[in-house]
Amino acid sequence: MTHIESGTGPEGRVAVDQTGGLGEKGLSKGAVGVLGAVVIGVSCIAPAYTLTAALGPTVAEVGTHLPAIFIAGFIPMLLVALGYRELNSAMPDSGTSFTWATRAFGPWIGWMGGWGLIAATIIVLSNLAAVAVDFFYLMLAQITGRPELADLTDVLWLNIATTLVFIAGACWISYRGIETTKSFQYVLVAFQLLVLGWFAIAAFSHVANGSAFDATPISWEWFNPFGVGSLTGFAAGVSLSIFIFWGWDVTLTMNEETKDPDKVPGRAATLTVLVIMAIYMIVSLSVISFAGIGDTGLGAGNPENQESIFAVLAGPVMGPFAILMSLAILSSSAASLQSTFVSPARTILAMGYYKALPPGYGKVSPRFKSPSTATITAGVAAAAFYVVTRTLSENALWDTITALGMMICFYYGVTALACVWYFRRQLFSSVRAVVFKLVAPLIGGVILLVMFVKTAVDSMDPDYGSGSNIAGLGMVFILGVSVLLLGVIVMFYMRWRHPAYFTGGTLTRLK
Amino acid sequence: MRYIVGYTADARGAEAVRLALALGGGLSRDGEDTHLDIAMILPEHTPFSATYPGGDHGYRSIIAEQVDAWANEALQLVPTGVSARAVVRSAPSEAEGLDDLARESGAGLIVIGGRQGKLASRMGPGSVATALLHSASVPVAMAPVGDGGTIPQGLDRVTAFIGTRPGAAAVVETAAVAAGRRGAELRVVSLLGQDGGTEGQLATWRAELKGHVAAVVHEARIRAETIVAEGRNIEEAVQALPWQRDEVAVVGSSRLAHRRRLFLGATAQRMLRTLTVPLVVVPRDHQPPAPVGA
Repeated sequence: MTHIESGTGPEGRVAVDQTGGLGEKGLSKGAVGVLGAVVIGVSCIAPAYTLTAALGPTVAEVGTHLPAIFIAGFIPMLLVALGYRELNSAMPDSGTSFTWATRAFGPWIGWMGGWGLIAATIIVLSNLAAVAVDFFYLMLAQITGRPELADLTDVLWLNIATTLVFIAGACWISYRGIETTKSFQYVLVAFQLLVLGWFAIAAFSHVANGSAFDATPISWEWFNPFGVGSLTGFAAGVSLSIFIFWGWDVTLTMNEETKDPDKVPGRAATLTVLVIMAIYMIVSLSVISFAGIGDTGLGAGNPENQESIFAVLAGPVMGPFAILMSLAILSSSAASLQSTFVSPARTILAMGYYKALPPGYGKVSPRFKSPSTATITAGVAAAAFYVVTRTLSENALWDTITALGMMICFYYGVTALACVWYFRRQLFSSVRAVVFKLVAPLIGGVILLVMFVKTAVDSMDPDYGSGSNIAGLGMVFILGVSVLLLGVIVMFYMRWRHPAYFTGGTLTRLK
Repeated sequence: MRYIVGYTADARGAEAVRLALALGGGLSRDGEDTHLDIAMILPEHTPFSATYPGGDHGYRSIIAEQVDAWANEALQLVPTGVSARAVVRSAPSEAEGLDDLARESGAGLIVIGGRQGKLASRMGPGSVATALLHSASVPVAMAPVGDGGTIPQGLDRVTAFIGTRPGAAAVVETAAVAAGRRGAELRVVSLLGQDGGTEGQLATWRAELKGHVAAVVHEARIRAETIVAEGRNIEEAVQALPWQRDEVAVVGSSRLAHRRRLFLGATAQRMLRTLTVPLVVVPRDHQPPAPVGA
């Protein structure tokens, strides 16, 4: 608990404490150990959600090379996160892609970096809500024993209405500043890992008993990233795997909140990635062994199954206990939905505060001390994005996940290069600096931006992703590029109407 | 006396400051200085509600600056001559933060604003007020809920509401101290709801209540106007009373309260929705900080 005051004398003259701001000291600091930090990391990744959302689309791109591409996707994530950590310790008070990129590259690239982060989080919000809704109806069906209830999620208007209710609920909770408690996070994470482990063991025992759908023997070739064959498949696979590790970097950037900032973040990040990698490997191996990658029936290559793999496989694999999988995914996606709101809201707040967006977006709620206009804006944007995607695309979830991967590659890439440029005068000051400020973020950033461009170009193909298209232009391309173009339009509008930020009046580029 | 003002940077917060000034501002008769602790409670951040994807996103520095600006604005509301400071702390809930501050600083009263707007009187007090009114360990003053109410500019009269249950003495003494500090009149009222009583029963109840009120006032050795207010129900009884512009009402805490804690009883809740003057709720077994004046 923190306590600070400033006062007026009896003469009534205001004299705010000169030793520092009231507000700064009023903010509390936590104390988490390694275990706590691992729980936070796993919870941010939300493996039950990421697997059900990304496993199908990734199999569609790389087939049995799923394990290889998951490992390959982690490498740029790791490299970029190392750069993040450097930026975070250099500018802890403004930890966002928007401010970092502005300080390094100036207002234009900084603005687009912020927009990329907002767009990525808005997209993931709409996807999280949609996944939560799918499993909500599936669980209703499992509880009541009436399978037809699960099909309600395919009724367009009902699906859209329910999803909007979920988004509104999470937005409201976030606006009220209600936070998740420690015990809730521990239970949520333990439950997810337990259920995913259960699923994998059950799938393997079906394979052993000969009762698997399409028993496929595990082969070392699955771990060979070069076996993917096409660069298109590889790029798409990597941008999808970036998505499944997204959130891992929180463990690295937790400093003041940990008991020992020198040791806890590093250890926790390492442990988190080991836990996550283990669960991703076991689950992806078990899915392919059990279901194969065929495009019929339960096959992981069947486009019908790829939007949400566990919705299809949990029943055949886990039998009556499939309801636990629904509960795990519903709870993890609903919890992530709420915590994810914080991210775009805070970035929009920061952009409003630095006048990169109209100043109204910089408003803080006096009652809840949370970003008010920014949170509601994020909610409305997520809802609008979902309605548009759901009405335009037959496979909205699939296409949004692919577009999301693209967006993450974009803003992570920009931020990684911002790290290199920001530290450009100290890059060779030590071996450590060469590794963490130059080599790691440079390689990571370049890989991600290459993946971004490659995915953007490939996705123009009408057959890309789920195969939805408008006038022969792939849906993923339309989604991704129109979101970025919208950003460019808003940026020019801001430059025209509110130039302060662009002329260096609010946030200056570090020369 | 020290006052903890539960401040938010909106109309409600400004109202709380005005109410605290009305209750304790200006010159106090007992020579004891009035001091306002204008308190802003920030939500307690737990790392377990980490944002996804990670990073502080510039939030901490923005909110810190905003809070500083709010603190300055709040202090501008306090006129020259009154001692005040701004206090910021983070706590799991606003009510908890205010109550902790009150206990640590030895404050005599927590002051909060009311809920504004058309629906307010139907919805009752807000969540912070409700939490405080059910748990605080010092008296809580709350601005009237809803449209009809006004914030007094000074204090001409204090009205203590008492029932026949134990605890009436603490309420009357607290009211007497508040009145004495500002040289205000004191009125002690008991409410009588007529519904369900025959004429004969009502006459008996009326006589009993009159006797009870007189006894409490006599025992407290204070001078006060005593009234038994009647109406078909509690709301009408409260509305039947004449009110002054610069007046506050004082009620006791329900029997459900832990010792020395607040718990707003059912009758007091109904009164809260009807009153057009601020209401002070006194914890069970509360010892007023200063000797009884006048």
